[in-house]
Amino acid sequence: MSVLQMILIALFVYLGAIGSIVGNSIGWYCLGRPLVASFVVGLIMGDVQTAMLVGVPLQIAYLANVTPGGAVAWDLSFATYIGTATALALKGTVDSTPALIGLAFTGAGLGGVVGGTMWGIHYSLDVFLNRWAERLADQGETRKMWMPNLLGGQAIGFLTRFVPAFAVLAAISAAGTSSGLNIPGWFITGISTFGSMMAALGMGIILSFLVKKGVHWAIFLAGFVLVTYFGLNTMAIAIVGAIVAFIVYAIGNRQEAL
Amino acid sequence: MAKTVSSKTLRNSFNQWFFWNGCSQQAESMLGLAFGQSMAPVIEELYDSKEDKAAALKRHITLFNTESQVGSVCNGIAIGMEEQLANGLGTPESIQEAKVALIGPTSAIGDSLWVATIIPLLLTICLTLSQSMTNAPWIGPVLYMAVYPLGTYLLSWAIFRTGYKAGLEGVQQFMASGQLDKIMEAVTILGLIVVGGLTASFVNANLNLDIKTATQVFDAATQTYTDGVISVFNLDNLLNSVFPKIVPLALTLLVYNLYAKKNWKPIAIMGLILVLAIVVTAIGFIPGIGAFR
Repeated sequence: MSVLQMILIALFVYLGAIGSIVGNSIGWYCLGRPLVASFVVGLIMGDVQTAMLVGVPLQIAYLANVTPGGAVAWDLSFATYIGTATALALKGTVDSTPALIGLAFTGAGLGGVVGGTMWGIHYSLDVFLNRWAERLADQGETRKMWMPNLLGGQAIGFLTRFVPAFAVLAAISAAGTSSGLNIPGWFITGISTFGSMMAALGMGIILSFLVKKGVHWAIFLAGFVLVTYFGLNTMAIAIVGAIVAFIVYAIGNRQEAL
Repeated sequence: MAKTVSSKTLRNSFNQWFFWNGCSQQAESMLGLAFGQSMAPVIEELYDSKEDKAAALKRHITLFNTESQVGSVCNGIAIGMEEQLANGLGTPESIQEAKVALIGPTSAIGDSLWVATIIPLLLTICLTLSQSMTNAPWIGPVLYMAVYPLGTYLLSWAIFRTGYKAGLEGVQQFMASGQLDKIMEAVTILGLIVVGGLTASFVNANLNLDIKTATQVFDAATQTYTDGVISVFNLDNLLNSVFPKIVPLALTLLVYNLYAKKNWKPIAIMGLILVLAIVVTAIGFIPGIGAFR
């Protein structure tokens, strides 16, 4: 990675984090999603094809990484941008797609730990902004009310995301260019296995949002066996699901009309 | 003459909320500062004296939280009530009470319907596109980047205006009508079928137990028996013949159980998956009984 590439990726780590200047709908819920993040890293590092190979599994593993009830698991953008960048920077050391995915998850895990710490620091430092806002409110300063939230929040947000992300990327880049880097085969097998198991994280947590009664387990299993016994692809399953959902909705409305 | 909030100020207030609701999220007032920022232009327009402005600003930097995209209905309602108060209707306390009362239901609807269902569904459709179009895998992220932010902006703005026009009672009536529950149930069913399919397609896990024995193996090329090994018990093959992909299914249900029932944090579950990956990889490398040896 060149310094410019590292700066750009670190900038996107900040933009894709919670409460960046572009807003959560463009930032956290769009630029921060692994599918988009891997595409952006692919553009920056000039290899969209490889980036998307790791982006899809990353997206599935972190599909449930949303913020229900304000409980943030970790700064997702750290995990996804650094994960994809790790895979692209070290892709010369491995020779299979599962291994590449494993590298991405290893980088994502590292980034996730840093990101989780940074979110904690950000969340704590923001408390002081309340004093600033209270002072402005006391004086009825409607035209300055944006300052604590936007100015203060952005300053803290930028420092806690951009700087550590750049440092981590620099370390990964150094590892990628060091001539002696030779990853042993058993390690590759291990991280490939880890990568392929991580999809269960996203699926298990999403289920906890969706399942509300016993019959929901049967519906989940129906989707499962459509793949294992009938060999449908995901798009076909989405269409079957939409048809079933529409029928259930129509029946629900009809019962009320009767 | 009655005071009203101009449409320009409404849009200004909405934009400040939509883009910057998450800037200063913290444990003390949650999204309170962002809410105060979005109310500032409205307060500037409705009140003249410094004292009135100060009192109104102080009302809106207190504790507030919601799922901000769908929760823009709260801003609309608060602006409507602030407008009435400026015209001598209602009390400051009723605005505070309305805001506090809206935290729970708007968070619940926003989190369960929008954040936990619609976003993952849209992402799933886009990632499936990326996966199936191997020559143009950029199509998924590009589609998501175009549809999600724009669609959310338009929806959130419509909800914001609905809150302003319908007011607290109108919104509560809609929430109590049951229509939302029916939409919710239909979307949940779609989500469950898709998650079932994704689990079967993308989760991979093997126990890597393959007990072999040294024996004479018939070599078809030379028509002779030579020393070799054959598998006598492959646990993964056995399990898959009973129910295909049962191990990935069990792993997914384990994650569900740990997260939903045992309140494990995602990062802790990730750690456990790492440990399990190390264990099954190690089993795979044991000579004689591992799948890799």
